[in-house]
Amino acid sequence: MRLEMGHIYIRDIQFAAESKIADGVLYVSEEALKAVVLEDEKLKSVSFDIAKPGESVRITPVKDVIEPRVKVEGRGGQFPGVIAKVDTVGEGKTYALKGMAVVTAGKIVGFQEGIIDMTGPGADYTPFSQTLNLVMVAEPVEGLKQHDYEAAVRFAGFRVAVYVGELARELTPDEVKVYETPTMMEGLKLYPDLPRVAYVQMLQSQGLLHDTYVYGVDAKKILPTILNPTETMDGAIVSGNCVSACDKNPTYVHQNNPVVEDLFAQHGKTLNFVCQIITNENVYLADKMRSSDWTAKICKMLDLDGVIVSQEGFGNPDTDLIMNCKKIEAEGVKTVIITDEYAGRDGKSQSLADADVAANAVVTGGNANEVVILPKLDKVIGTLDYVNKIAGASEDTLRPDGSLEVELQVITGATNETGFLKLSAR
Amino acid sequence: MVKEIERAGLPVVHVCTVTPISMTVGANRIVPAIAIPHPLGNPALDAAEEKKLRRGLVEKALKALTTEVSGQTIFE
Repeated sequence: MRLEMGHIYIRDIQFAAESKIADGVLYVSEEALKAVVLEDEKLKSVSFDIAKPGESVRITPVKDVIEPRVKVEGRGGQFPGVIAKVDTVGEGKTYALKGMAVVTAGKIVGFQEGIIDMTGPGADYTPFSQTLNLVMVAEPVEGLKQHDYEAAVRFAGFRVAVYVGELARELTPDEVKVYETPTMMEGLKLYPDLPRVAYVQMLQSQGLLHDTYVYGVDAKKILPTILNPTETMDGAIVSGNCVSACDKNPTYVHQNNPVVEDLFAQHGKTLNFVCQIITNENVYLADKMRSSDWTAKICKMLDLDGVIVSQEGFGNPDTDLIMNCKKIEAEGVKTVIITDEYAGRDGKSQSLADADVAANAVVTGGNANEVVILPKLDKVIGTLDYVNKIAGASEDTLRPDGSLEVELQVITGATNETGFLKLSAR
Repeated sequence: MVKEIERAGLPVVHVCTVTPISMTVGANRIVPAIAIPHPLGNPALDAAEEKKLRRGLVEKALKALTTEVSGQTIFE
């Protein structure tokens, strides 16, 4: 499967009467955006704001971050099974608006959302301080249940991203990258001497709004399966996650997964990037056992030499991670696992809830319990109402001078387990 | 907590969903629970069925507590 990815660099976003992209500037009609969001009668009102790198702006509670893209050639459209009709994506031509993101915010679950600071020390801990952010805060109609509110905001965010992405359809990309994976037999002929490597991606699927969707299917209902890695670039996997902000994968991370990027960079040179294997992180032990059994079985059937396994979230998914690692290694396939740590504020506690000697190659995204002070910023998009309750905060978080004392856990993407940020440890 | 209480001389049954973690941390008597968000119940059942399930779990745990073990044991 071959995908041409055209990058269109956005260097500014401005509200305007008419939506268009010209000379790298996204002009966008607030009225048009509002209409796109309020198509859904579950949403009562919405406001939009623009946050730029370096500005004294704090966005919270952040739900999802999405990169606008448009499918210009090939099957299907963006977010298949969710926005576009179900069709296999990942081939043809797609344009992505680089340097910007759609950020959805709101009180949805409050304590399970994150913080993005556009400047100051907090900005160093989130990749989304570096993007021009079109921020959407949507309010539900009265009496709307929390899970319906979550779904409404999730879908509205994707609709907005698709609306913005469509503005790029007729443009010429600034840069084009080509991603191609051969079929199994072709791969064997092309790269007979290269190790066969796959990416095992664990998707957050604990339920109670800790969910991920694959082609519109709730990931807790999937059995492990294989994807062409380019499918995720067209939005095959999306976040529906209201969970600790530091190590959940916003949709943006699925679209730009660094493990996929880096494996493609080595594809045909040092390794043969065979495929992406997706599995879940469910709350029943039988599901954990079945999914890890299947993941290991697929690795064996594909005659892999090695896999990189990335986790999403922490706590009981540590067991899914260790089960995957143990069972895949037992099939004779080498593993490297990517996780993060909850080692206490002093870093001295056990980092993961589970462990095994098979997990002897581990990459960490850092210690989510590490404490940072975020100074008061001039403007808040969203609300500070939940800032003392957010996972990784405490009742003393909001200090008298307006600064925040928090664990990294509260910052969107701080200890991301696909290596999306710079944090790690030796 | 399981290990500290046992160190003080009292037997402990660890009722938990993710029994592999219980094995890793070194519990000796382990009773599998239902699911992580609802270890001792099941909201999918009606009240009478759920009560039966809950009583069954407690009885199993009590039985485990009074059973001699020679090593880490999961009471399925």
